[in-house]
Order: sequence, then C-alpha cells, then structure tokens
Amino acid sequence: MRTSSKFLVLAGIATLACSSGLRAQMGQPAGAGKAPAAPAPVHDLSGVWNMRGTPEQRKYLGSTYTADGPAMTAWGKEKYDAAKPSNGPRTNALTVTDDPVLRKCFPPGTPRIYLQPFPLQIINTPKEIIMLFEYDHTIRQIFTDGRAHPDDVIPTYMGHSIGKWDGDTLVVDTVGFNEKTWLDRDGHQHSDQLHVVERFHRVDMNNMVDDITMEDAKALAKPWVTQLHFTLHPEWDIMELACPDNQAFESFEK
Amino acid sequence: MRTTRRVCFALFAGFLLFAGVAFAHHGTANYDTNKTVTVKGTITDFQFVNPHVIIVMDVKGDDGKVVSWQGELTSPNRLSRLGWSKSVIKPGDTLTVGGYPTKSGSPEIWIQKVTLASGEDLATGGGN
Repeated sequence: MRTSSKFLVLAGIATLACSSGLRAQMGQPAGAGKAPAAPAPVHDLSGVWNMRGTPEQRKYLGSTYTADGPAMTAWGKEKYDAAKPSNGPRTNALTVTDDPVLRKCFPPGTPRIYLQPFPLQIINTPKEIIMLFEYDHTIRQIFTDGRAHPDDVIPTYMGHSIGKWDGDTLVVDTVGFNEKTWLDRDGHQHSDQLHVVERFHRVDMNNMVDDITMEDAKALAKPWVTQLHFTLHPEWDIMELACPDNQAFESFEK
Repeated sequence: MRTTRRVCFALFAGFLLFAGVAFAHHGTANYDTNKTVTVKGTITDFQFVNPHVIIVMDVKGDDGKVVSWQGELTSPNRLSRLGWSKSVIKPGDTLTVGGYPTKSGSPEIWIQKVTLASGEDLATGGGN
C-alpha cells in the first residue's frame, strides 16, 4: 500500500475510534449522527451553515466542485490555462497569483463564495432571503417576492438572484454576472453569460443540500453540475473576516 | 476541552498530515508537503489575527544556537471554533509545533500540530 494510503487508513481508524470526540472537535452540533435530527422546518433555510463535503469531495473541494472539472469551450480552456491560481494543483505563490480574490479582494462571485472555507448565515425576510457569508462579509440577496430578473440587469460580482419554492425545494436562479470573478479557486473561468441554478433542500433540521448547475455557452461546453452539503451550527456566530488583512499577509509568504 | 478529545483529534490530524491533505490552502508552492518538521521552543510572539494566526518561537538548535522560527495556522475564526482564544498561549510559554517546512529551508512552518508544555495538543483544523 502506498505510504499516503496507509496513513489515510490510519486516519480512518482514528476517526472511528474517536468518532464522538472528533465530531465535537470538528464543531459539529451536539447530537449530530447520534439521534435522528428533527425534521426540517417548512420553507425555512435560516441558520448558520457550514459547507462541508463528503469524504470523497474533500479531495478537491478546497479549490473546485468536481473531481474532473468542467467541460470547457476553447475560449474557456484558453482562459483557464492562462490563469495563475494559488489554490488547487497549480499552487502559485501569493505574490505571483492573479486570483482576483487573493490579489484584489474582489468578491468571489456565485457559486465560488461557497468554496471560501467559512460559514454563512441564511436570514429570512418578507421579500428576500439574505445570505450573509463570513468571508469578507459578502452578501447575496435572493429576492422571493415574485420579481423577474431585470431586462437590463446591471452586471455584478455575485449576480442577480431570484428564488421560488417548488414544494420543499428553494429554486434560485442567478444571472447578471460581471467578468471579474472566477468560477472556482482552481482558475476555471466564466463569461457574463453565466447562469447559475441552485436547488436548496433542507433534508432535516441540521442538513441541507444545494444542487448547483452552472451554464455558460461561451465558457462551458456543457453544464457543470455539483451538489454541496451544509451542516447547521446553531452554536456558531458569523464573525468578521476582512479581505484587506490578506494583503498584509503577502510579506509572510514569500 | 477534554484531553481525550484533543488527543483523538491530534491523532486524526496527524495521520492526515502524512496523507498529504490537499489544496485548500493557498500558495502551497512555498512548502514541502512531503516532509514534516517539529520544533520546540519558547514563544516570542503570538498573533491571533486574520488571515492566519502566527506563532513565533525561539528554538535552540542542536548546535546550541537560538533561531527564531515562524509558523502559520488557519484563520482565528476557525481556531476559535476549535477552542482557541487570543490568550490560549502567550510569549514565554514553551511550545512544540509540527508541520510542513518550506522548500527553501527557511525557519518557517505551515503548522499542523501544536503541543503545549503540559503535553496536551491544541486542535489545528488540519492547518487550513
């Protein structure tokens, strides 16, 4: 067995041996995995959530959504090849990377914001669902008052989002992206034609999944699909994390 | 935080360390994730700030010379959820840290493991 595989097996054994202690350390809510969780409240995604992939997903979720990446158009591939990401397998140093999040503190965009490893809070209001992300206090507004996307939508980093309940699933449709963000932290690119559809389903009180489809006729040869998993953390508050602090750090990582 | 849980987490994180957990951390080009280094010394600075918590330590080498080592951890936001606070350690404390060395051999570590003078480990969240 390769050395790294041997240690993965040992990690698995350590996990099983210490499972309840480990869950406490990893900040999972008390009772997670012991008794069945309470049922999901109806049409209510509110709470503080942490995106945490399956063990298989964790091999790549630090920087992208799937093991194999998207099917790219020639345009998309050219831009991907030219990008200099710091995360993912092409680990450029902070002083070399052209990742707009790391270099310029640009908002990460949608759905890349979910890859920034910090929690989010979902807040219901009468006309919109607000997602407040710990990463650089980024906000998404998902309008649920029945409006359509504007015909002449102003391009933004996070896009214009509208949401509607389909049974127990919140379907969120987002368009109107500028071209100043990356699709992920690996350097996959999108155009202003990016269209993101998300289907949020709260499985039970503590667990939520988001089925995401990214379409972009200019950058993606076919839709790029993934499913992200979120765990509720009622014991956490959203804290401050301001991107300009990252700039001060560049001198540390030469 | 109970010792048993800390030890369990340390075991888990330790094994993951050697399994080479991947690419959530930026700029890994600077570090050699195929090696580990462990140093023990006296804390001279502890910055519990974003984006990365930093520990600076005076470490006496085998040659008797004292070298200042710097180590980085993840965000204090994540560490505080694992039980850290800005006063969990302080200058003057004895500490042992382990993690990935730099490729250049400079006295810097991407910290994966932190052990107090008492022998207790502090959870590090896998260094990301």
